[in-house]
Amino acid sequence: MTAEQVLTRDFELEGLRHIETYLSRGGYRAAVKALKEMTPQAVLEEMKKANLRGRGGAGFPAGLKWSFVPAQTDKPKYLCVNADEGEPGTFKDRFLMSHNPHLLLEGMIIASYCVGIQKAYIYIRGEYEAVAQRLEQAVAEAAAKGFLGSNVAGTGFCLDVRVHRGAGAYICGEETALLESLEGKRGHPRLKPPFPASVGLFHCPTVINNVETICNIPFIILRGAEAFTGLGRPRDGGTRIFGVSGPVERPGCYELPVGTPLREIIFHHAGGMKDGKRLKAVIPGGMSAPVLGEDEIDIPMDCESLAAAGSMLGSGAIIVIDQATPMLKVLAKVAKFYAHESCGQCTPCRIGTSWILKIVRRLASGQGRKGDVEEIRRLASGIKGLTLCPLGDAAALPILALVTKFRSELET
Amino acid sequence: MNPLANIVLDGKPLQVEPGLTILKAAQQAGIHIPHLCYHPAFAPEGSCRLCAVEIEGLPKLELACATVVRDGMKVSTESPRVAEARRSVLEFLLAEHPLDCPICDKAGDCKLQDYYEAYGLGAGRFSETKDRKNKKVLLGRNLILDRERCVLCTRCVRFLNEVTRTAELGVFERGVRSEIGLLEGGPVDNNYSGCLAEICPVGAITDTDFRFKTRNWFLRTGESLCPLCSRGCNILVEHHPGFPRVPHSQKVYRLGSRANERVNGPWICDRGRYGYGYLQQSRGEVVSGPAAGRPGSQAFEEGLDFIVQKLKKMQFMKRQARTAVVVSDWLSNEELFLARAVFGRDLAGCRFYLCGPPDGQGDGFLLTAERSPNRRGAREIGFHTDEFRLDDLTRETDVLVVFGPFLAERFALPDIRTALASVEIKVLFTPQWNGLETAFDLVLPTAHPAEKDGSFTNLEGLVQSFSAVLEPRGAARAEWRILADLGRRLGLNFSFYQPFNSAPAVRAALKKDIPFFA
Repeated sequence: MTAEQVLTRDFELEGLRHIETYLSRGGYRAAVKALKEMTPQAVLEEMKKANLRGRGGAGFPAGLKWSFVPAQTDKPKYLCVNADEGEPGTFKDRFLMSHNPHLLLEGMIIASYCVGIQKAYIYIRGEYEAVAQRLEQAVAEAAAKGFLGSNVAGTGFCLDVRVHRGAGAYICGEETALLESLEGKRGHPRLKPPFPASVGLFHCPTVINNVETICNIPFIILRGAEAFTGLGRPRDGGTRIFGVSGPVERPGCYELPVGTPLREIIFHHAGGMKDGKRLKAVIPGGMSAPVLGEDEIDIPMDCESLAAAGSMLGSGAIIVIDQATPMLKVLAKVAKFYAHESCGQCTPCRIGTSWILKIVRRLASGQGRKGDVEEIRRLASGIKGLTLCPLGDAAALPILALVTKFRSELET
Repeated sequence: MNPLANIVLDGKPLQVEPGLTILKAAQQAGIHIPHLCYHPAFAPEGSCRLCAVEIEGLPKLELACATVVRDGMKVSTESPRVAEARRSVLEFLLAEHPLDCPICDKAGDCKLQDYYEAYGLGAGRFSETKDRKNKKVLLGRNLILDRERCVLCTRCVRFLNEVTRTAELGVFERGVRSEIGLLEGGPVDNNYSGCLAEICPVGAITDTDFRFKTRNWFLRTGESLCPLCSRGCNILVEHHPGFPRVPHSQKVYRLGSRANERVNGPWICDRGRYGYGYLQQSRGEVVSGPAAGRPGSQAFEEGLDFIVQKLKKMQFMKRQARTAVVVSDWLSNEELFLARAVFGRDLAGCRFYLCGPPDGQGDGFLLTAERSPNRRGAREIGFHTDEFRLDDLTRETDVLVVFGPFLAERFALPDIRTALASVEIKVLFTPQWNGLETAFDLVLPTAHPAEKDGSFTNLEGLVQSFSAVLEPRGAARAEWRILADLGRRLGLNFSFYQPFNSAPAVRAALKKDIPFFA
């Protein structure tokens, strides 16, 4: 790996998760720089210039998102870090938070300073108990060293950070459901508009960013937007952590420039297919990203290229599927997941996902009928575009891709 | 004021108030956009997805219930994409629906049925096994939830969160397993629980008071006012008109709310909703007294003649002061006005008393402490509402005329009988037999508000008219008719009573006479 590391620098150091080690490697310099040498407006300009696209799935530019928060308001503003990493195949945020929790905190300090936030939450999925403990510890260390609390780095800036554990619902990774959950309610997505930037947590302006997104901020502040954009693609800068799973030689997280070809990630960085297995398909951005066939993997891994190919970069989780895996099994996994995780609020997603699952289960038990695959396609199209939150599309699009691209296999 | 927004709705150019949602703008233009979760009393929920419409220039369909009109917006509520989305949503809704319409109380009045007729009508393609759910969950003393029929619009949950703020219900589980259930803290127990069955767009929440008793297409619906407190809630009376040759078979099956933003919004309280028993129980339908046993109308005429004779005699003897009249605040403005004209003007000198049901406790929302519909009207027409004792009525009284059954709610019956023994002529006009009639010589049956025309003045001074929904029972007559008749027969001011052949005619005179009603 020759590319510069934005996120995973020093990850080989044993004690990086402790503040002393982090400080010794130059930690919190970006935060101090932002707070002492830059105005919030300058930070925002730098962020907009960096065009840091959200790493949670939707790929929305973070700087732009921050600029939607009203500057003049008598309400408190909040930052919510989305650490509810529930997208199947995705494990990059856990990787980041468990190795270097202070990087996240430093990013949060800068983001909060920029937007004028004094209270920030890390909403972490309930299953990440150990990671949540590391975060708690990091928050305590940072507070003890004066990087959090009522006088951050001696600048008079205040920031209180709370770690909040979810209770195991995929839907709470959707930003407005996350807010509902954080407010102590049932995790149901909210109707938008209003958007969280104006009416968010406790009806106050709120910024919600993914863990990886926030972790990019210190680099951008320290090295400048140009250094950041120089790493990736012109309109999609920086690096991303690609989490590769499936039958490859070296599954795991790889920090690589945005736009690294998918084939290179699988066959070079992840060591290629395991035990001479043959590649059949790849899900390029977490389970909700439409599947790519083996002939489609010569593609740069950036938001726009994947969108053009009818898929999405999503969370950057690459799920590799080999020739020995029946696509019906993949379809069954996808169908079961979304039927299980649909929050039940919108009609098409609530009933549609369960209906599809019932057909898939029948297929899997050998009770398939002629026209079943077409029926699945029809139902998935009925969900697409019709739901309140992106979960409906997240279920419909990968199912549509599977039944379209692997129709002949599924029909036999 | 902001200028109107110009929009094009289904090809029709419209000018609408800015800030209006597409759904409301369409409603104003007479275009119905189907919806289940949207209810005008709550913030849009956006979960049923039925109201999706196409807006020119936007890639996705947008929700009519939540999207505010913008100047220049072009909306289609009928484009092929919209129709396809509706069909799709309806198909999803019906996939897991038990389709037990033949035994469902809501059938005939069910949004899901209506929309399927209007926008769906595809053959069901769901050939999987339907999930079974509990079909009889007791939510409160009068509410039963059928989870198979539920479409999860959450109107019930939002009603309890936003209107009563009692929050008894919530959504449990997730996905297709989602279900409405009671939160910790027990059953739905508030004075507005009946609204839940009413706002449920399907047959998921049914009312034990109505459940399995009839089919709603047998019923006729009439508009009336609730007389059980002084709020004056606007109601619907759903009744069966009865079969030919079956006496008195008209029957009220349920009351519903009739939206009126100035009074009750879209709600009514349980006390009003379930308190319709008085309409069909212990009704006085025949004349009792000297003319008893004659055919109804003839007996009534003779009864009136008897009263007129007695009153004329009292007047001739200048003994009006020995006539006591008890009116009730269940009488309409028109009737109170006529009572004052007959007994207070023509027979000047009669003593008036006002007797209605005793006060109860208000609930801080719609139900008021005053339990009569027209106390304010009585006050404006000039009746004093002071308390009185029984011997005030009977002391130096030769003729006692009482309207309404409420004396028996204020005083013990034996005391009434004893006190009234000394009065020579005792006449009672009442729609209800509650024992009071046993203390009177002559009892004439009258009508309840649902059975007559008139108006009430609610506690805030709003005068609201109502018209007869039901036929008066047996020989019963509306009091305004009786009083106008008495006025004519007494002959002291004949021309005044001459035009009073309808309640509105009386109202016109009332408006001229008392500025409050003008």
